[in-house]
Amino acid sequence: MNLRTAALPAGAVVAAAVVAPPLALRDRLPDPMAIHWGPGMVPDNAASFSVHLIMMAALWGLLWLGLVAAARRAVDSRPGRVSWWALFSGGALFAILISATTLWANLDAPVWTDARLDPLATAAVVILPLAVAVLSGYLGRGEPDPPAYDAQPPRLRLRSGERAVWVSRISNPWPLIISGAGAAVLFVLGTLEMTGFVRMSSIAAVLPALVVVLLVGLFASSLSARVSEDGLVLAFGPFGWPVRRIRLDKIHHAHVEERYPSQVGGWGLRGLPGRTTIMLRGGECLILTYHSGGRLGVSIDDAERGAALINTLIAERTAA
Amino acid sequence: MLLTLDLNDARPLHEQVAAAIRRAIGEGHYVPGDRLPPARDIAAALGINSNTVLRALRELRDEGLLEFRRGRGVSVSARADGRALLRERARELLDEARKYGYRREDLITLIEELA
Repeated sequence: MNLRTAALPAGAVVAAAVVAPPLALRDRLPDPMAIHWGPGMVPDNAASFSVHLIMMAALWGLLWLGLVAAARRAVDSRPGRVSWWALFSGGALFAILISATTLWANLDAPVWTDARLDPLATAAVVILPLAVAVLSGYLGRGEPDPPAYDAQPPRLRLRSGERAVWVSRISNPWPLIISGAGAAVLFVLGTLEMTGFVRMSSIAAVLPALVVVLLVGLFASSLSARVSEDGLVLAFGPFGWPVRRIRLDKIHHAHVEERYPSQVGGWGLRGLPGRTTIMLRGGECLILTYHSGGRLGVSIDDAERGAALINTLIAERTAA
Repeated sequence: MLLTLDLNDARPLHEQVAAAIRRAIGEGHYVPGDRLPPARDIAAALGINSNTVLRALRELRDEGLLEFRRGRGVSVSARADGRALLRERARELLDEARKYGYRREDLITLIEELA
């Protein structure tokens, strides 16, 4: 059965397990109910029953939607399957347990300040989903991935006395749109502050986040790559900065792969060192394999010719 | 975009760059409407001045191969077709012929004999 068609009913069952018990036991719950406990298991925050229910539904609902969306491509690779199953089982159990323990603590409490949470329950909420995530990731790992590249990496035929370079560029307007929105928010907040509607302290709270969004969006909006005898140079953003240079003698070979954000965990710089992907859009990616065994993926157009030129230049260098 | 330059080519650099871009388009790497990488990127890859690349791009625009659009950069013109490739091949053929001592007129005679 298709993972996506299986994830829909399974996720609905989880959603029912998260939402149904509080609804069924609503008469025995205080309103507002305790939703957070501080040191010594004393409740320190409360919310109305409906807000709590919406929060619980959203916690699982968002994760469920994301997993259903990612299901189709996640099955293609072993890391994709492992993380999908770990997130699905671990996330489902986490949502169920957090809803159940909150319910358990509030059950028959006259007011929310009387709700007592068992320390063991908090430990269970953290440890059990983690254990289940690890186990189901392991069980759902499937067959090892076949080698991603052909035995024969692409090559070019250059005549003697010919010098070749490769230049390519991609852009993705979304990060730029998001940073534009961030800049607009910043501007509006600044105006409000100057006219005295909002105090500076509340702006200071969101300022760092906004600036980060702005900068990341700017740098992630476009990428240009060039290959010459010096190696591969990647330049980010509309100003061509920051720049990453990779010397040819570090590279073992290059090939092309189809990679998608759902496989590598989203857009931007993704993955751990040694298996990083610079993902601006799904599709054709240039994959470098280093002598050290590490790999770098870069989503870029015309990657086939870029890979071929890199392999040709490496071959020329070793022949010389 | 893959650009190849002949190191022994005696033509001015901007002509060589124009020829390289013409070849890349002619060989079908780029289809009408595709955007070219910015001149700055091409110049950086080739290790030459941006103005040289811009001069080459302007030459290709005058030939009708490229279109300059404000805010959209440089793209391959809708009118560009096999003619660009033939033109570049003919130029190469002419160079080859010169090496063997044949003039342009000899080449034309040769082509007319074929037809």
